[in-house]
This record gives sequence, structure tokens and C-alpha cells, in this order.
Amino acid sequence: MEKYKVLEIKESVFEDNNHQADLLRARLKKEKTFLLNLMSSPGSGKTTTVLRTIEALQSEMRIGVMEADIDSDVDANTVSKTGTKVIQLHTGGMCHLDADMTKQGIEGLGTDDIDFAILENVGNLVCPAEFDTGASKNAMILSVPEGDDKPLKYPLMFSIVDVLLVNKMDTIGIFDFDLEAVKARALKLNPNIKVIPIVAKTGEGMAEWTDWLRNEVNVWNEK
Amino acid sequence: MHEIGVVIEVIKTVERFVKQNDVTKIDTLVLQIGELSSMIPRYVEACYPAAIEGTILEETKLKIEIMPANALCKNCNKVFNIVEHNKICPKCSGEDFDLLSGREFMIKEILAY
Repeated sequence: MEKYKVLEIKESVFEDNNHQADLLRARLKKEKTFLLNLMSSPGSGKTTTVLRTIEALQSEMRIGVMEADIDSDVDANTVSKTGTKVIQLHTGGMCHLDADMTKQGIEGLGTDDIDFAILENVGNLVCPAEFDTGASKNAMILSVPEGDDKPLKYPLMFSIVDVLLVNKMDTIGIFDFDLEAVKARALKLNPNIKVIPIVAKTGEGMAEWTDWLRNEVNVWNEK
Repeated sequence: MHEIGVVIEVIKTVERFVKQNDVTKIDTLVLQIGELSSMIPRYVEACYPAAIEGTILEETKLKIEIMPANALCKNCNKVFNIVEHNKICPKCSGEDFDLLSGREFMIKEILAY
């Protein structure tokens, strides 16, 4: 029998995905479409936050939404009622979206008439953090009922996002939730993180979020 | 169980490597998984046979090397395992450290003919 040889690869497993993500990001920059990857646990209020965001910005920019779920199209249905262009992506059991799936979504959505695309990722604080989707910016939502210990339990997610929205602030009196502790824990993991407390249901605090988005979209699409 | 999606990523990367290098038959794939990685070696092993079916890695063996979660204490420079010592330096009880290893999930090498 032939003797085998050892071939060193020494590549991070996410190398291929990272490469695809960089290609997608470059393309979106060229086509002047800002892509936001929005992540959180199931039930944290992603869809409601997306709805409020659309309401605040739809008169200024052309928005498109990609809803990623394992199954169903309830979210796409809800969002489509705003008149916004929306497509539903099914991950077929996968717990996250990778750059290739995001690219397919972007192609489905089209970039010609979209300035700002929102990717509502699968509800999960674990795997979406490990896969660069090719988004221009990443944001996450932590809702008050989930607890202030989440940055300790899911550190990677908190360390890769640009913005942390703390949602359902109106329930803070019912739950033992320490906003200052969340801020301190998140900042320790990620000194550049921007923490914005909101109540997506009523729109409270949303102005700071939409101001940030407006600025980011403009900067991205400028040149 | 998100390991299968990641193992499929591994296969894609190896396929690319094999195309670029002159490899005829792969015998073993060697992965390095850090103790702090979200990949559980036992699950990676469990989904490996299903993930490689019909790919260039079909009928290959899988070997996993575990990388320890080692850190360098910022206070006294001791290297210690943060999982074993619960993130507290065993020498000076310091809690500030720089992680040296433990997060990786690498394709180390392939044994091929």
C-alpha cells in the first residue's frame, strides 16, 4: 500500500464563509445597499422592532426585508402589510444563515430599488454569531424577560454586534433585570458596543436607534 | 445541534484545497477544536458520516485534537487553563487575562495519498 502524506491546511473552518461574506459586502457597497443583520433569541421582539424601524424610515429610504426562519411565513406576512418588499427565507432546519444563503436572499430581494436591507436572522444567540453573513452592520436584541445574565452566557454574540437593543423596557418592574449590569457586561466584551434601551411595541427609545441607522445607511451608500 | 452546518463548511474548504493541490485519495481529516468553541467534538463525530456522504471526503476517517482554553494572567504572567480554574489565576487569584487558545475550530491537515 502506498504511504500517505500529511498535507497541512491550517485554515479556520469559517474561512470559506468569511470569504463569501467579504465578497457579498463588497458587492453591496458597490450596489449601494446597506445590509443590517438583526439577531436575537426567539420572542425578543425582532419583528416588532423591524416594523417600527420601517415606519420610521420608509419615507426616507427604500427598505427591503429578508425574514429567515426554520419554517413558516408568519413574519414575512406581518411585515408585508407595511407595503415593504419582503421575502421569506427557509433555512430548512439550520439554526443560522451563512453568507451564501444571505447572498441568495439578496438576489431574491434585488438591490436595484433597495437602499436598506434588513436581515431578520433565525432566533438564536449561538450560531448566528459565528457566521458572518456579509452584512454592513450587525445588531442584536436582548429583551428584559430574558434576563441580564445573557452577555455572560452568550459572550460571542455580544462581542460581534455593533448595537445592542434592550427591548421590552416597560416590563423592567416585573423582572429582576439590571440594565447597568447588562451595559457593563456587554462593554467588557465589546468596548465599541452601542446599547439602546427601547420599547418596540410603543416606539419608546426608537429614535436613537433609527438615528443611528439613518447615519450608517447614508455613510454606506454615499460613495 | 448546529454542528452539521459547520461540518458542511469544513467539507467545502477541503474540497477547495484538494482541487488546488494534487490529491487523489484522502484517508483522514484532522480538525482542531478549542475547549471554548461552540462545537462539541462528540456531535461533530456523530454527524460526520452523514455530512461526508457523496462528497470528496466519503469513507474518510475523522480525527479531532482538542485545544486547551489557556490564558496568560495579566497580573503575574502565569499561563493557566480557564475552564479548570474557573477564570481565576491559580497563582495570584487575578481575574484579568488574555486568552491564548481555546476558541479555535481549525482544519489542521489531511492525510492523503
